[in-house]
Amino acid sequence: MKQLFKITCLSTMLIAFSCTDLEDELEDSFTEDQQFSNNGVSVGGGDGGGGALLAPFARLRAGTAGNTGFFATNTVTGDDVAVTQKGGDWFDGGIWIQLHRHTYGSTHDRVNELWNDAYAGIGECNTSLSNSLNANQTAQVRALRAYFYWRLMDGFGRVKIITSPGADAPQSSRQEVFDFIESELLDVLGISAVTASMNLSGSDLNTEISNYRINQYAALGILAKLYLNAEVYTGTPRWEEAQWAAEYVLDNSPYQLCADGCSVPNQAKRPSVASDPETLEGYAAVFAPNNENNPEIIWAAEYDQTGAGGMNFNMMTLHGPSQLTWGLDVQPWNGFVVLEEFYNSFEDDDLRKEANFLQGPQTDFNGDPLLDYAADDGDLVIDYKPNINELEPNAWRDGGVRMKKFSFALFQRQDMNNDYPIVRLGDVHLIRAEAMARAQADWNMALPDVNALRDRAGLDPLASLTADSFLAERGKEMFQESSRRIDLIRFGKYEDTWWEKTDSDPNKRIFPIPQAQIDASNGSLTQNPGY
Amino acid sequence: MKITFLKNLLMLGAFLCFGIIQAQEVSGTVSDASGPLPGASVVIKGTTNGTQTDFDGNYTLSDVQDGDILSFSYIGYKGQDVTVSGQSTIDVVLEEDAQALEEVVIVGYGSQQKKEITTAVTSVSSEDFNQGTVNDPTQLLQGKVAGLTIVNKGGDPNTNGTVRLRGISTIGGNQEPLVVIDGVLGGSLNNVDPNDIENITVLKDGSAAAIYGTRGSAGVILITTKSGKVGQPMQLTYNGQFATSSIANQIDIMNADEFLAAGGNDLGSDTDWIDEVTQTGYSHVHNIAAVGGTNDVSYRVSGNFRKLDGILYNTGFKQLNARTNLTARLFDDKLKIDFNSALTRRDSKYGLNEALRYAITYNPTAPVFGKDAPFPFSSGQYGGFFETLGLFDSFNPASIARQSENDGTTNTINYSMNFNYRLTDNLAANVNFATQNIKNNRSQYYPTTALYLGNAVSPTTRGLANFLTQETKFDLFEGFATYNNTIGDNISFTLTGGYSFQETDFNNVFFQLGDFPPGIQFDFRNNIESSQDLTEAGRIVANSDRRDGDRIVAFFGRLNATFDDAIYLNASLRREGSSRFGSENQWGLFPAVAVGADLNKYLDLNNVNLLKARLGYGVTGAIPPEVGLFATTYALNPGTSGQDGSSTGQGNRAPNADLKWEEKAELNFGIEFATERLSATLDLYTRNIDDFISLVNVDAALFGGISQRYENAGQLKTNGLEFTANYDAVKNDKFSYNTGLIFSTYKTTLEKNPQGDQVIANLGAPGQNNTSVILVREGEEVGQIWGPVFTGEVNEAGTPQLEDVNGDGTVVTDQGKALDDDVDFAVLGKGLPDFELGWTNQITFGNWDVNAFFRGAFGHSLVNTFRAFYEPIIGSQSSYNFMNTKYARSDIKTAQFSSYYVEKADFFRLDNLSVGYNWNIDSDHVKDIRLSLSGQNLFTITGYSGTDPEPVLQDFGDNNSANGEIVITDGAVDTGTANPLAPGIDRRNSYFTQRTFTLGLNINF
Repeated sequence: MKQLFKITCLSTMLIAFSCTDLEDELEDSFTEDQQFSNNGVSVGGGDGGGGALLAPFARLRAGTAGNTGFFATNTVTGDDVAVTQKGGDWFDGGIWIQLHRHTYGSTHDRVNELWNDAYAGIGECNTSLSNSLNANQTAQVRALRAYFYWRLMDGFGRVKIITSPGADAPQSSRQEVFDFIESELLDVLGISAVTASMNLSGSDLNTEISNYRINQYAALGILAKLYLNAEVYTGTPRWEEAQWAAEYVLDNSPYQLCADGCSVPNQAKRPSVASDPETLEGYAAVFAPNNENNPEIIWAAEYDQTGAGGMNFNMMTLHGPSQLTWGLDVQPWNGFVVLEEFYNSFEDDDLRKEANFLQGPQTDFNGDPLLDYAADDGDLVIDYKPNINELEPNAWRDGGVRMKKFSFALFQRQDMNNDYPIVRLGDVHLIRAEAMARAQADWNMALPDVNALRDRAGLDPLASLTADSFLAERGKEMFQESSRRIDLIRFGKYEDTWWEKTDSDPNKRIFPIPQAQIDASNGSLTQNPGY
Repeated sequence: MKITFLKNLLMLGAFLCFGIIQAQEVSGTVSDASGPLPGASVVIKGTTNGTQTDFDGNYTLSDVQDGDILSFSYIGYKGQDVTVSGQSTIDVVLEEDAQALEEVVIVGYGSQQKKEITTAVTSVSSEDFNQGTVNDPTQLLQGKVAGLTIVNKGGDPNTNGTVRLRGISTIGGNQEPLVVIDGVLGGSLNNVDPNDIENITVLKDGSAAAIYGTRGSAGVILITTKSGKVGQPMQLTYNGQFATSSIANQIDIMNADEFLAAGGNDLGSDTDWIDEVTQTGYSHVHNIAAVGGTNDVSYRVSGNFRKLDGILYNTGFKQLNARTNLTARLFDDKLKIDFNSALTRRDSKYGLNEALRYAITYNPTAPVFGKDAPFPFSSGQYGGFFETLGLFDSFNPASIARQSENDGTTNTINYSMNFNYRLTDNLAANVNFATQNIKNNRSQYYPTTALYLGNAVSPTTRGLANFLTQETKFDLFEGFATYNNTIGDNISFTLTGGYSFQETDFNNVFFQLGDFPPGIQFDFRNNIESSQDLTEAGRIVANSDRRDGDRIVAFFGRLNATFDDAIYLNASLRREGSSRFGSENQWGLFPAVAVGADLNKYLDLNNVNLLKARLGYGVTGAIPPEVGLFATTYALNPGTSGQDGSSTGQGNRAPNADLKWEEKAELNFGIEFATERLSATLDLYTRNIDDFISLVNVDAALFGGISQRYENAGQLKTNGLEFTANYDAVKNDKFSYNTGLIFSTYKTTLEKNPQGDQVIANLGAPGQNNTSVILVREGEEVGQIWGPVFTGEVNEAGTPQLEDVNGDGTVVTDQGKALDDDVDFAVLGKGLPDFELGWTNQITFGNWDVNAFFRGAFGHSLVNTFRAFYEPIIGSQSSYNFMNTKYARSDIKTAQFSSYYVEKADFFRLDNLSVGYNWNIDSDHVKDIRLSLSGQNLFTITGYSGTDPEPVLQDFGDNNSANGEIVITDGAVDTGTANPLAPGIDRRNSYFTQRTFTLGLNINF
């Protein structure tokens, strides 16, 4: 009995003193407990000014101008850029070869990124919309979300339309997603349809120039792109609406083509190399590292080497020794190259040729020949020649000219500073031209806009146009702007043969839904045909 | 320690029985080989008249008559009877009883008689430990415990081995067994010097470990350190070791001539790069310990010093460790207080393993120094070293090894106090308090002249310094009570109940800056104010983490019962909560029950000393690898300019509020058998892991683009068998030969995987990204290496031809189709061994002893990534060296993963051979001296062409954080996340294996 008493005492004591508190407050993560409204930090609402939209618009950077997701899937599938396998380098399980040859499947990493990045943007928009935004902010976020859905619908066709955080939805048809994007954009523009005489005074979007945010012209630009490809997406052409949307921007907006007198200091100018120009003019200035106030850019993804990383064209395309040309921070990766035929399609005096490509023998920071002592061919000078021996397995390391449209700066870090246009006036010209020509079934209708761009590129005007020559013009103007895949599809040329690509399966116009997503969706997602 | 404890119990018992009876008086001294034995019991046989010896081993017993038999006894010694025939002085010398010594085994929250153990428990004493230079306590056990696998590939002295008990115990949770040091759980093994360890006990099965709950899910390693004895005069021992290490094996590469013949780029020199970056490592270890005790206090104090060189140039560590174990007794020995403390400071030079990696792939015709370049080369910019500028992933290994610094200091402090109070003879209460603090300061410096990460090629931004401070604070409070009694004659039982509270607080701070003034030879880590990064936005990388209040709280109870001194029952129940779960799922209940029977008691077989059967079942749990996975988090997006303010967005991980305990149920059946000379143990087990916690693909549309989160995801089953045998082949006074064998095998099957089939474990750059080589398929074995099969044919372009495995006429070997029905992939090998063997041989001959220990693993394969990347003679890679193994073919000119790069890696190794000689001096100052010579890793029989055929149990991916080492590159701190589902990949970050010879000197004063 005495022992029992002692046991009871002891256990009572133990339990009395024992702590069973398992509450864990996360010290190094932000949870609902944090009072974000204090100290000038806004929870995506009201008082932070533009700050409220930082989070959703920051999502635009992922995959847009890097070697992943949106850029890779929309560029390497085209007839202008490839990623060659250089021996052991850049094989990567064949994903780059698959993009070039259109043999991609449902476990392709780049395709997965296209999906995940878009939904990351949509998720962020939904989170943002559930906070207290003002009418203009709400309209911007809805337009941004519509743009992310455009990327999904364009790439995958049938996707889930999720409009509030965490709420599931069935997989919609491509038509349904198209309708959703259209209605969202029309709604924020305050109109029920795009017409030749529409009045946007009821729009919650404004008309102020703000490169990294969406105004009425940016929303119209997305809408114009949607209508231009409507036939591809839904089977029903919407040429006129594409034309009117583009025309409204051209007629009413303050934006101008960056032509004569439009220039920026050349940040790649090497002090001791006289042949490096002091400034970049016209077309080249639109994409320069210091392009943030360019009058041609309506809406851009903001990139900055310090606070807004994600653009790494320098790393993607340059051969290692090119580091020494500009004193780059990090040795480049030598991946992306330009196809010979595409490069050769440029006229020699086309200013865009110089602006778009890095070619020929290279020099170092002092202007001396740039040597590669590990060269395969005994020729030590790095020389980006248009000719490439093969796609795989042993492509020349310095074969192929390189992408330079988004040009480099001295001492550039791994992340670049150039802003990446999502909507720019040059493209709007081409959208109007093509929509008008197709609506009227006369390609010559496109001549004024095309010649305006040719003029800016230092070329003589064309006297006539065909579908093929229009597409070629568009390809030159829009190089490296993630437009080639959808352009080829719209012109029925995505199944053509080029370089080492022979696939002609029309199912490849739409990417496969990532297998991991189908597996994770409990049957709510089904695969696209042909995969 | 336990012996001291029992001895004192006995002493106490003797006091209680003490009585005074008038008669003849006998006195004398009881001693053992090393001196007087205090507390030994002296009783007249058949009576209760007895006494015990005092502090000097003396006793006086009254009322003794002629013809009485005096019975002398002492725990751990063989008893002695002496018949009284008129003597007034009787001195006896007791002999140690080896068998009795082993009889008590430490288990969770107490100890048990060995015969009462009903679970799979293996105990290894210091005399059976591995010999030679051992820095990591787990290496003492390598190959000694069936089912315990310890892999330290290559043997980098600065990394700890991977320890696995019975294979995979969890997917996403903690894989390492729980370490309990002198009853205190959660202690760091790095704070225990191998010289201070008396015994290591391994609790292998679920029913044994269940009392430790979550923490014991991967098994439990109980370490008992050496301690003082009551009444023992102070003794001083010295242990010294002097060792040299050199490369035992490296992968074969081409020398300059072979390289040129294969079409390599000629840079005019002939350099053995491996020679340039390696060294012969000299090491010495010193241990001094003082041990002793009075009647109330016993102690052991030891100091350890280790200085070790690695085989990589400029690597190694220096370590100082001190340990104090103090036991005090109060209130007639009712209260026992243990105070243990240990502190360790280790100054490590980690070096950069990249130097080893590039030594293998660097052009063998390249000169070490720029002045020997075949063309004008501005050596000054690179610290005098040559560099092949512009070549992807190619850095002068000598420059890395000689110019860059990668250092760290780890301070570990433990102290623990244990109060044990015997309330009555049946009831005792225990309170444990322990705390541990580990502080790790790491820094790396890449000078302005280093191309590798120092960016020496840059005209403007050169030099880089990284700093990382990590601190882990751990507090433990435990209270438990033990009650024992008997029911009738045949049943005795012990009840234990208690409470445990564990809290971990972790924080780290990292920052990185660079751009130091060029042209000055200076370690700018000590002068970061010179960094130009301070003046330029966005250059400095800094981050910090904090995880406070990471808690485990548990209540536990256990019943041990013995029936008829032959049938044993152990049952335990633990209710445990963890703060890593959301409030709904915090608590789990973990039961265990085990029975055992001494069959020989009933069968009474001839010549059989022991025949015991036992059966145990236990459930343990596992918690998620991180805190807060249940909670929704937000990301903060600062504006690019100050006026923008900030906004919060969705977090960068998908929360799972429903995350719950992963449960592991294990059933173990064992048989123990012993005769005079032979002993053997057989264990069979099956374990089922349900709801294992793992990173699972989720619908990105629902989780804001995040496509993975931790979920309770599937089921894993392991069946295994372990066998241990020991045989005294020869045993006499002059010569003895003992041989022991351990054998273990297991097979793990992925029973359920809601994720569907997957291929995982990417080979990596250059060129083999998205090349996944391990198949994870429901219903199949874990660790299947998966890929195309090489036909042996190579086409004219140098591309290896792959087999049409399914014979459908088309060869589909596209990685993207790895799981399709028509793919021509096959299982190319398995990452986990079929079985593992350890074979011990001990010979004593007079004063000589010889120990030979062989170890092997069989049936596993390894993906030899060095070969997969660098063996093909790729034209565009003619500036990198090529592998030149026995498999090298000059006609293969394309790097394409296939069966050709998967090799069988069975091996059998003479792990350790040591010879020792003992001098019994017995002078006034020196009692005995022992001298020994050991060789580690003397030879290996294997067909594997890589550096080390040791199995690789998990995969850290193609980064340099192999073995969980902290690696800092590109501003990110990478501690590596190991994937246990991807064994069998020999990554390019492996250290070379080394061979070590050690001279050992042991002096007892």
